[in-house]
Amino acid sequence: MGDLISNLSHGFGVALSLQNLGLAFLGCLVGTLIGVLPGVGPIATIAMLLPITFGLDPVGALIMLAGIYYGAQYGGSTTAILVNIPGEATSVVTTLDGHQMARQGRAGVALGIAAIGSFFAGTVATIVIAALGAPLTGLALIFGPAEYFALMVMGLVFAVVLARGSILKAVAMILLGVLLSTVGTDLETGQERMTFGLPFLSDGIDFAVLAMGVFGVAEILRNLDHTETRDVVRQAIGRLLPNRDDFKQAAPSVLRGTFIGAILGILPGNGAVLGPFASYTVEKKIAKDPSRFGRGAIEGVAGPESANNAGAQTSFIPLLTLGIPPNAVMALMVGAMTIHGIVPGPQVMTRNPDLFWGMIASMWIGNLMLLIINLPLVGMWVRLLKVPYHLMFPAILMFCCIGIYSINSLPTDVMFIGFFGIVGYLLIRFGFEPAPLLLGFVLGKLLEENLRRALILSRGSLSTFVDRPISAGLLVIAMILLALALLPSIRKGRDEVFTE
Amino acid sequence: MSISHGQGKHRGFVRSPQNFAAGLFLLFLAALALWLTRDLPQGRLSAMGPSMLPDWLAYGVGLCGLALLGAGFLKDGEGLEGWNLRGPFFVLLSIVAFAVTIRPLSLGSLSIPGLGMVVAGPLAILIGGYATPDAEPRPLLVLALGLTPFCMVLFGDLLNLPIPIFPQSLANVLPASWSQKTILRILAALMVLAALLVHFTGRRRRSNRIDVVRQPEEV
Repeated sequence: MGDLISNLSHGFGVALSLQNLGLAFLGCLVGTLIGVLPGVGPIATIAMLLPITFGLDPVGALIMLAGIYYGAQYGGSTTAILVNIPGEATSVVTTLDGHQMARQGRAGVALGIAAIGSFFAGTVATIVIAALGAPLTGLALIFGPAEYFALMVMGLVFAVVLARGSILKAVAMILLGVLLSTVGTDLETGQERMTFGLPFLSDGIDFAVLAMGVFGVAEILRNLDHTETRDVVRQAIGRLLPNRDDFKQAAPSVLRGTFIGAILGILPGNGAVLGPFASYTVEKKIAKDPSRFGRGAIEGVAGPESANNAGAQTSFIPLLTLGIPPNAVMALMVGAMTIHGIVPGPQVMTRNPDLFWGMIASMWIGNLMLLIINLPLVGMWVRLLKVPYHLMFPAILMFCCIGIYSINSLPTDVMFIGFFGIVGYLLIRFGFEPAPLLLGFVLGKLLEENLRRALILSRGSLSTFVDRPISAGLLVIAMILLALALLPSIRKGRDEVFTE
Repeated sequence: MSISHGQGKHRGFVRSPQNFAAGLFLLFLAALALWLTRDLPQGRLSAMGPSMLPDWLAYGVGLCGLALLGAGFLKDGEGLEGWNLRGPFFVLLSIVAFAVTIRPLSLGSLSIPGLGMVVAGPLAILIGGYATPDAEPRPLLVLALGLTPFCMVLFGDLLNLPIPIFPQSLANVLPASWSQKTILRILAALMVLAALLVHFTGRRRRSNRIDVVRQPEEV
């Protein structure tokens, strides 16, 4: 406990430096901006901004990028409540009750409870990260290649089970993602695999290129098919601070939402997306009068909004302690860390304590800033929604081009975001979700490396994964999960969660 | 420009065109991967060769493809409706235009001088903008002329990233005492001026149609 406090105070010392405060603020501001704007997500934004961090020191760079991610969770709710369009995928469920509240003239209360719930969830998540950091890092040190492999397999199974839509399609996307990660020079034999003899593919497919293609360009193409009719609530926003009754009604939902979000965030897949769905379902299930939901129930805003913020923050845990990115945003963080010569993994905490604790402390500071950025300034963000999509997407397109070009100064990278954009668009049209593909791609290299290493150590015997207790345990969990997900009764429940 | 496969028309042989097409696509990718790794050694489990994992994965993807193909025949599902080619065409064209103009490029007999961000940026915005039927030339021009100088100053001046800003021939024409940054700043200022000019001269002629979103009355 004493350690925790001294570490946190060290972190606050780092995070409170003028430069880091400024960068945290900048990150939160950009995060809110892209959160408010539908059609621009954190993945594309962070990929676009990666080159900007070249000139910064690593702590500041990661503080800023982290701010973008959790800042987007705050901004997304504003659009969801006022316009009935989710600003981010994580605020889809907020539209259900949030917009109804706005129609009843309680937009301010909905915005207020969303921000306050998020702040509470952010505070709890910060403490969770700080508390789990040391023990998980210790755990990671006793992991061998077999355990790492089993852990990643379990993670991918989680991602399949927790993904939206068809399980079969999610499995296909994960396999395809891992397959894509094997393109390039084989590290052990030095032979080129699936490169078509093209020199720029011999290093493999660049993650930023794939992410920007699939999440930047393909998103634009998909959005162009869904021209949106926007209608901001015409009633007054009203007072922003919820009154005592509102608090009393919402407080338990905030607590439950934070808990659900924090747990789902740690799991691989996308906790920040899934948390709100789970939280909404729970709130509706245990409510005395479920029919209020969908008609402006404050619990339906408080729970999910807390869950998405908690999930966004706790998803840093696997990255910072085990070096395994649980979702695409964290994979970009790996990219940002490698640019600065930091290898993600258990050693980060001991070798770069400034980075580890500074980032954690900055999250709490960032949450405090977001409360201010969002509530009093909500009018400014609403005005931003006036920008029509047909002017926004060409700007995003140019930013993508400039961003990806400045990472490696290669025009081929620019062309490849176009190529992956088209492929991603095709996949979306065929009913696939691109998120599991990216996760498979991210974990693919680590997965292959650890699989090979484990098999070399065991002289080619596959039983090594079953003989070692931790690895066996993880694989059993994965099998049970997959079996459960395929059971008809559970499948039905799962579909219900996603169609709400 | 769009091919429409309405849902409900396909109650014949293929009951879910979307799953059917998805299955075919996966089978194609799996076959491609297997074909590309055909010459590489598989190795043994104790010393895996370069193609062992990719091959297993390709079989996995192929199996998923077969299952989806089967599901396409057996279960009713979504159709493949409303393919719009305008979006992908202009977006791709805009990306390619940026890629070939940002720095010198020679493809066989064709060579394009590097024009830098000052040309590539606006080009990407103007071409990309036409991906939607709502495109209007004047606001796009204002956007192109306004956003490019912002990026030039941000990436070239403040962050010092090695991204070409303007054609090298321009620097040769101007006095040698002008530094790269001076030229960058002058160009940026000129573009902002041009953007303002286009914006304000156009306002009277244009109807105020852009505001898709109505303001809440009290904020």
